[in-house]
Amino acid sequence: MSDLNSVSNRRITISIYRSESRSYVDYTVPLEDGMVVLDAVRYVQEFIDTTLAIRWNCKAARCGSCAAEINNMPKLMCKTRIDTLPDKIRVAPMGAFTNVSDLVTDVSENYMINRQIPEFKPDERAERPWRIAQIDVDRTKEFRKCIECFLCQDVCHVIREHKADYVGPRHVVKVASLDMHPLDTLDRSEFLNREGGLGFCNITKCCQEVCPEGIHITDNAIIQEKERAVDGDYDPLLWISRKIRHNR
Amino acid sequence: MDFGSRERNEVEAGYVSRNDTIPRELKEPNPRLWLFIILIGIALYLIVEFPVKPIDGYIDPFYAPTVLVLPLVGLFRITCYAYRKDYHRHIFKHPLECSINNRHDSQKRGYTGETRLFRLENLHRYFLYGSILILPFFYLDIYKALAFNMAITLAAVILAVNTILVTLYLFSCHAFRHLTGGGTDCYSCKFAGRSRRSFFDVQSYLNSHHEQLAWASLLMFIFVDLYLRALSSGLNINFIILHL
Ligand code: SF4
Ligand code: SF4
Ligand code: FES
Repeated sequence: MSDLNSVSNRRITISIYRSESRSYVDYTVPLEDGMVVLDAVRYVQEFIDTTLAIRWNCKAARCGSCAAEINNMPKLMCKTRIDTLPDKIRVAPMGAFTNVSDLVTDVSENYMINRQIPEFKPDERAERPWRIAQIDVDRTKEFRKCIECFLCQDVCHVIREHKADYVGPRHVVKVASLDMHPLDTLDRSEFLNREGGLGFCNITKCCQEVCPEGIHITDNAIIQEKERAVDGDYDPLLWISRKIRHNR
Repeated sequence: MDFGSRERNEVEAGYVSRNDTIPRELKEPNPRLWLFIILIGIALYLIVEFPVKPIDGYIDPFYAPTVLVLPLVGLFRITCYAYRKDYHRHIFKHPLECSINNRHDSQKRGYTGETRLFRLENLHRYFLYGSILILPFFYLDIYKALAFNMAITLAAVILAVNTILVTLYLFSCHAFRHLTGGGTDCYSCKFAGRSRRSFFDVQSYLNSHHEQLAWASLLMFIFVDLYLRALSSGLNINFIILHL
């Protein structure tokens, strides 16, 4: 058992964004071993200011609700240990989305974009029950790890700074998981390129850097979809060969 | 498509340069871009104006097989996904860093990304095909270096390391990855699916080091060039490792 007195003697100061005053307010909270930022923020809500609005569910990096910007980097509050941070800790809501209150943002645009992605369309002739070889599902398994925290959408400069009509990294991951499914019959890369604004992504890989699930968003989803879009939209030889086949 | 609540009011017209033929990225006052262009210009001038003659059977990689392939190699590198990331970040600053406080990107700056003129970056695969075609000349040059001297020399080893790095860089390319398995959704439905998949896995491993390979091979290129220039100016920096 650790010495409780000595533990409660250590304190840290955490600066949290408050939407009412549109400023950061400092709070001092007791530090415990293995503490994460979410612990500190919850302590503030429970014992110092109950009006602080936060969102969280699992505290196990599974639900994706506690996304925030900790010392200027988009991170999950429940997965960021205090002992990995410098003495000054600043917690802000995600800046790419409309702020609802304090650390809570409105991420609903993502559900709206998601609904517009063409659904899974299996091959009707495939023998049932479906049998899928392991080597054919390996690639999409990575994309299914996504917990929809939208940290990648938050860090993406195309959305955050330029508000351009680009679906965003999370949704390219979704599209890739459908496109690479061995039984799916659609190719969504043209949709992504023409309507989804895939060309706005300049593969600068910030999304990949912040993804708490370690998904190689840019390498394995975005660039793959870009190459598929080249097949459909930019490759002159493939274009000619399609024309010839079409005319026969 | 409907993108919902993204507030575009203040920047409605400015967020992308839809009507600009020349992308905003190239029109902004950007000393980093100017410096880059000047450096490239100087380098090209020097390479063309002061060629390295083959010396003792060693051929400078910038002239393999001829300096005329330089545009192809240049276009291959400039449309490479690894360098694209680098110049979009460090030259255009879109964004400079991922952290929120040091991005140097803003709503007020126009942004084209890889649309409009920059769509040309999508022709990368053709420059890849071209570069693969000239790769054998690099191997030929190693052979020439060995045959001319009838010995393994330091210079030959340096040429060989350069060639290996170029080869790894070329075949770790993302367009090559798409071509050799990335575009396949069902391996088990294809002929020799399991081997294809294994090849894809090996290539993916190389691909995950593409950025490092891109820089390693570029720096090596420059080093070999300087080394051979020094050698042809009479500096005694080559020696025989093994007689053949
Ligand atoms: S790689 Fe593309 S999607 Fe990811 S953050 Fe950069 S611009 Fe956005
Ligand atoms: S891809 Fe990663 S960062 Fe993006 S929403 Fe999914 S888990 Fe979060
Ligand atoms: S609380 Fe669920 S991911 Fe952090």
